Amino acid sequence: MHKIVSLWRTTTVRLTAIFILIFIVFSIALLAYMAVRSSISIQQVQTREVVWEIRQLRELNQRRGLRALAITVQRLASRPGPGVYYLGTPQGEMIAGNLSSVPSNILANEGRYSLRYTPQDAFGQAGVERDETAPRERDSHAMVQSVILQGGLRLVVGRDVVERRDFTAIILGTMAVGLGGIVVLSAIAGVLMARRVLARIDTITETSNKIMSGNLSERVPVTKHNDEFDQLAINLNDMLDRIEKLMAGLKEVTDNVAHDLKTPLSRMRNRAEAALREGKTPRDHKKALEATIAESDQLISTFNALLLIARVEAGSVADNLQDVDVSEVVSDVCELYGPVVEDTGAVLETRISPGIQLRANRELLSQALVNLLENAIKYAAAQNTGSEKHKTTKGKIIVSAERENERIRIVVADNGPGIPLDDRRRVLERFVRLEKSRTEQGSGLGLSLVSAVARLHKGTFELEDAKPGVRAVVTLPVNP
Amino acid sequence: MKILLIEDDSEAAHYLVQALDEAGHVTHHAGDGETGYAMASGMDYDMLIVDRMLPRRDGLSVIESLRAEGNQTPALILSALGEVEDRVTGLRSGGDDYLTKPYAFSELLARVEVLARRSNPAEAATSLTVGDLTLDRLSREVSRNGDKIVLQPREFRLLEYLMKHSGQVVTRTMLLENVWDYHFDPQTNVIDVHISRLRAKIDKGYKAQLLQTVRGAGYMIRA
Repeated sequence: MHKIVSLWRTTTVRLTAIFILIFIVFSIALLAYMAVRSSISIQQVQTREVVWEIRQLRELNQRRGLRALAITVQRLASRPGPGVYYLGTPQGEMIAGNLSSVPSNILANEGRYSLRYTPQDAFGQAGVERDETAPRERDSHAMVQSVILQGGLRLVVGRDVVERRDFTAIILGTMAVGLGGIVVLSAIAGVLMARRVLARIDTITETSNKIMSGNLSERVPVTKHNDEFDQLAINLNDMLDRIEKLMAGLKEVTDNVAHDLKTPLSRMRNRAEAALREGKTPRDHKKALEATIAESDQLISTFNALLLIARVEAGSVADNLQDVDVSEVVSDVCELYGPVVEDTGAVLETRISPGIQLRANRELLSQALVNLLENAIKYAAAQNTGSEKHKTTKGKIIVSAERENERIRIVVADNGPGIPLDDRRRVLERFVRLEKSRTEQGSGLGLSLVSAVARLHKGTFELEDAKPGVRAVVTLPVNP
Repeated sequence: MKILLIEDDSEAAHYLVQALDEAGHVTHHAGDGETGYAMASGMDYDMLIVDRMLPRRDGLSVIESLRAEGNQTPALILSALGEVEDRVTGLRSGGDDYLTKPYAFSELLARVEVLARRSNPAEAATSLTVGDLTLDRLSREVSRNGDKIVLQPREFRLLEYLMKHSGQVVTRTMLLENVWDYHFDPQTNVIDVHISRLRAKIDKGYKAQLLQTVRGAGYMIRA
């Protein structure tokens, strides 16, 4: 029962029912029209027949006389079918025909009449001695034409309409049966269709239930039909992929926060404890406190970087894009860092084509560039203070921004120690800093942010081997 | 200076009140938005320090209401929300400056003192003078003791900002925000490098060093 109720609630079943209803109404209208039309045309045919027969009989009477007429009428009357005939004397005596009695008023005046009569049975008796208790259905009804022939002979020719009506009834009956069949069949088809649709929706509901109960890796099955349901399933799956990715990102962030913030936090706590326990002079305490503050500042910046990456990757800043002059952004950052590069003894070279426009987040783009530059400065500087062998090469950083067709290419290249191929990808993961630079300052999140910012602008971020050095390439599409 | 601090974290508030007191300011404290609003509209303060997320009434709405009533007391918003758009909403509601938690006290103090003088005549003056150093904001010329000093456009803006707030501590973050319009903290000593370049141009060869480093806080220019 519940199943039926739920079936009725489905749109498909209701639509089917409505269509069946509309179909029935139209069918009935069509049937009625057909019945009326056929009845009318049968009547027209019969009237023509009657007129023709009367003309023939009248001629027969004139040419061959009463005897031939009586025989013909009798022969016509004895044919099976709807024909009714009466031939009588002016005095009202019946000569031939299958109508036993015709009211005298019909016989007296020529014209068309509607006549109720009792059909004669094969033995020609019933008409006269009709049993009054016999069922009325045996009464018949005919449309007749009465004429007075030469010599005062009365001729009545007509057609039984009951038979005509029976015929119409048969047509209607057949069609009604057909209609009933159609209704039943389409109802079955509708239910089957609804169940099919329901089954597919049920799989979607089932999947979403599984997902809601925690299994985020479930996906809605996609069939080969490539219909609306498959479109819906594909869209849902895409959405789920995105959600799963976001969730994974969130989990990663929390994991990273837990791991990489807990370590310095406990270190900080230990230091404070040690200062309380061992610190003798106010100087010791002051030193410990200063170290604590420095450490907490580092923690805060790591935390901020993590949050920012998470936000950028979640795309929540995506609606905050404006028209930005990329050339200006790049040259502003270069201008800010120019003196810093010079102070490390390296050279900063810029090749920025003017007027590169992009819908972007200026702040994030600037920060990504700052991260790349700070990275480059770190590595280029490492070269100058590096081993004796390298001391002769001067650190050099090249920043370029140019538009190539539909893409904007921003490159920050240094000639410091390059990244081994295997480490390239790993460098983009959060918190990864290569062994050599472990001791350097920084949260290790710089390049991750660049990567996230590039993705936010539908672009890519890659590290290439510049031999020597690293070329950091950010490619952004102009029309994402 | 008379300051109203609206902050619901009582420990942070206690610490702030004490630190501001040590810096020579009288500070009143309100623990929620409603009380803070009542106090701010009932008394004359020189400065409001408003936490953004407060019980009973949001900090931004407190500032908005005060501004709607014509109260123009400078307001510094404190918030854990530090994104650019959060900052924009904060400043749009009538706040004059925005500081993201956690912050160094020196940063807060520097901003409060700069804010309190925001309505001072130096803001609109066409020429700024610190000792024998003068900066003409119209002709964009800088000279010291009559000798012309040639500055890059950004150096000019840096010096202009410092001179506008002469005698006050200006932090690195404030400089990055106001001179370069960046709202993030770089890892390297990028501001220090620019300051030392500027210093080389304006102070080198003079006995009186105008541009001073305030340890643990920032920079200050003064005669």
